Amino acid sequence: MAGINETELKVFIDSVTHYFSHLTQESAEVRSAYLNNASIPQLDYTGLISITGQYRGCVYFTTTERCLRKLLRSMRESDLREENLLDAVGEIANTIAGNARRHFGNTLLISVPQTMRGAVDKIGVVVRARPYSIMLSWAGHDAVVIVDIELDS
Amino acid sequence: MRLLVVDDSNIIRSRIARIALYSELSHLKIVGLARNGREAIDICWRHSPDLVTMDLTMPHMDGIDCIERLIDLDATLNILVISALNDKATAIEALKRGARGFLHKPFTDEQLVEALLEIMR
Repeated sequence: MAGINETELKVFIDSVTHYFSHLTQESAEVRSAYLNNASIPQLDYTGLISITGQYRGCVYFTTTERCLRKLLRSMRESDLREENLLDAVGEIANTIAGNARRHFGNTLLISVPQTMRGAVDKIGVVVRARPYSIMLSWAGHDAVVIVDIELDS
Repeated sequence: MRLLVVDDSNIIRSRIARIALYSELSHLKIVGLARNGREAIDICWRHSPDLVTMDLTMPHMDGIDCIERLIDLDATLNILVISALNDKATAIEALKRGARGFLHKPFTDEQLVEALLEIMR
């Protein structure tokens, strides 16, 4: 996929690192960001945002149940039922994609989040081959941001 | 003063309500937690809030349309937009429709309190 360049990839890296450092005062460490030619990662919970407008594709955030539980506790949320774990992963995906509009502008339209638990076949249909993968750790927990967007010709 | 919280995320609605309850905003009475623009309009009809926190990206009716509808109902309503959409054009559009302020997600507790106090002045 030749949709975005390095500068634009950095927009998403900055967006996800800002999310954790600003909300929790604990920084996320980006381990790598690369064009992914292998299988698309899916951890325990996934939030997916569809992109339309001048761009097309999707952005998704996937992480472990323990990561979401810790994040919710850091927000003093005591209800850690699955409904709220799904809600949290969707909200993170929404914030990462929404914050990217500072760079891309309001012609990058974002959907409401779709949320999933576990590995879902649908992801392989929605995400095209060779998206960008941003691998990160926050508070010892793994998470991945997948960025698959390009200008709509 | 009566506060209505509008956001499609349950954890964000709860968080805003919690911050309002346990901060210098504790004098606010929360009259409703709405998941979209339609629910927000319904609650406004029934409870006449003075203050609204408004998400933008929501199902059924988005925040921009909802702001306009709520201002039609009550032009004195104080609306604070709380959204991840951080481009300038969206903020300007929300303010044109009648919002009084714009707070970007992610936000800290202190930022929310400060933003709400600011638009209540």
